[in-house]
Amino acid sequence: VRRQAIAIPVGGGKGGVGKTFLVANLATALARAGYRVVAADVDLEGANLHTCVGVPDPGPSLADFVARRSTDIRELLVDTPIPNLRILAATHGSFGAPQPRQAERVRLMRQLRELDADFVLVDLGAGTHPAVVDYFMIGEAGIVVITPEPTSIENAYSFLRAAFYRRLELAMLSHQVREVVALAMDERNERGIRTPLDLLREVRALDPEEGARFVETMRAFRPRLVVNEARTAEDVKLGFSVRSVCRKFFGIEAEYLGYVNHDEAARRSVRSRRPVVESNPGSDAAIYLERVARKLVAGLGRPDPRADGAS
Amino acid sequence: VKPLFEQDHYEVLEVPRDTGPDGIERAYRLILSTYGEDSLATYSMVHGADSAAIRERVETAYRVLSDAESRRSYDSSLGGGRPSPDLEFDETPEISMEPPKVSSEPFDDLDEAGDYDGARLRRARLRRGVDLDEIARRTKVGSNYLTYLEDERFAELPPRVYVRGFVMAFAACIGLDAVSVAESYMRRYDAERPRQRRRFYRGT
Repeated sequence: VRRQAIAIPVGGGKGGVGKTFLVANLATALARAGYRVVAADVDLEGANLHTCVGVPDPGPSLADFVARRSTDIRELLVDTPIPNLRILAATHGSFGAPQPRQAERVRLMRQLRELDADFVLVDLGAGTHPAVVDYFMIGEAGIVVITPEPTSIENAYSFLRAAFYRRLELAMLSHQVREVVALAMDERNERGIRTPLDLLREVRALDPEEGARFVETMRAFRPRLVVNEARTAEDVKLGFSVRSVCRKFFGIEAEYLGYVNHDEAARRSVRSRRPVVESNPGSDAAIYLERVARKLVAGLGRPDPRADGAS
Repeated sequence: VKPLFEQDHYEVLEVPRDTGPDGIERAYRLILSTYGEDSLATYSMVHGADSAAIRERVETAYRVLSDAESRRSYDSSLGGGRPSPDLEFDETPEISMEPPKVSSEPFDDLDEAGDYDGARLRRARLRRGVDLDEIARRTKVGSNYLTYLEDERFAELPPRVYVRGFVMAFAACIGLDAVSVAESYMRRYDAERPRQRRRFYRGT
């Protein structure tokens, strides 16, 4: 009996924080550990995951799915030089290629989850638009990447808030409550709802049963944090601080997966278009990335592929 | 799920109720830096009076929980009602792809094998959230020397006997076993030192 793949969306709100770098390296680390991995790029505009894993010209890509040249993403997967790792690339073949519409996103996510693989890592674009944030719902183990700079932290909070509210919108049944959730998505709403905890108070007052569902949704939402480009001890602690803010202000339990330090080896690996965990496994960055991968797997309870036997 | 101002002292510091004094101390420092005046993590979330109020809540929690006497009486006032919150403060234990190996020590880096080179010293230090300046302050070893230790710029360091002393102080300061770390580091030093020359001139 085949298990469903564990889908891991990787987002963070801000561009340039290292989402693609992280996806390429985590996917490679997991593949090297013996898991069957697919890395999917769903960012049709800034797509370049394929480059980072050493596939200069992927051929088939998500663009074919969006343009309806293919309805089955299994046909679009491409092998990489790394054993056990395949990718769904997102090349921007034609200018003005549309982003997938919501119905297509839903189909895409379902197909991704049904892939024959242990892990499916999904590289999200930047921003907090539903077209981006919805992909964060593909799995419970979503990763938010932050770097130690104000803009990244601000965007990460916006991203988490948006991701949580979208999830909530789907979980809530009453029309009235959904309207309040929609209102709360505007960060400057006139009701003064700033955080999920504010919103919870409103929802409870409207409908205690919905309040209970709200809390359930909140509990199920366990984003993982990764600090990239850490240089100082202060930067390392940032993950704990953001986790504390999530807890105290959002009521959300985030897990601090770990950090990746600023390392020239990482920069060089991007230039040589190979994941650093593969091209330079002894480097600082690779050691940190491996650690994040191990912790991610341990938290997801997928058994060691090598202990699995041939069955 | 409770708003901050309804949280008990343990929840404010984000520790389970059976946390020892060291754990309370560590949690307090972390929370304090999180909600400090110019904290990167919170400046966009909390402002002015709110952040002062949070700091006051944190200070109160720490005052009560850091003193054995007052903590006992606070604990009995909480009653046995709810068990400790299911939050863990500590960095989750190190985990390997093999069966998870659990360690209770926070910021543990026992997963690494091999010698303590400069990079590993730095990783161990960062993992404990300690800056070089802090080590310099506590050990009285100049922070430039500490940097050279981590960067393995052996030619810039004073004679061997001092280097060994620096490494021991560094290791002890971040809670590593000073003797074994120094032994390991000096093996590397002895192998590499002769290859490094102090360069007075750049180029040829």
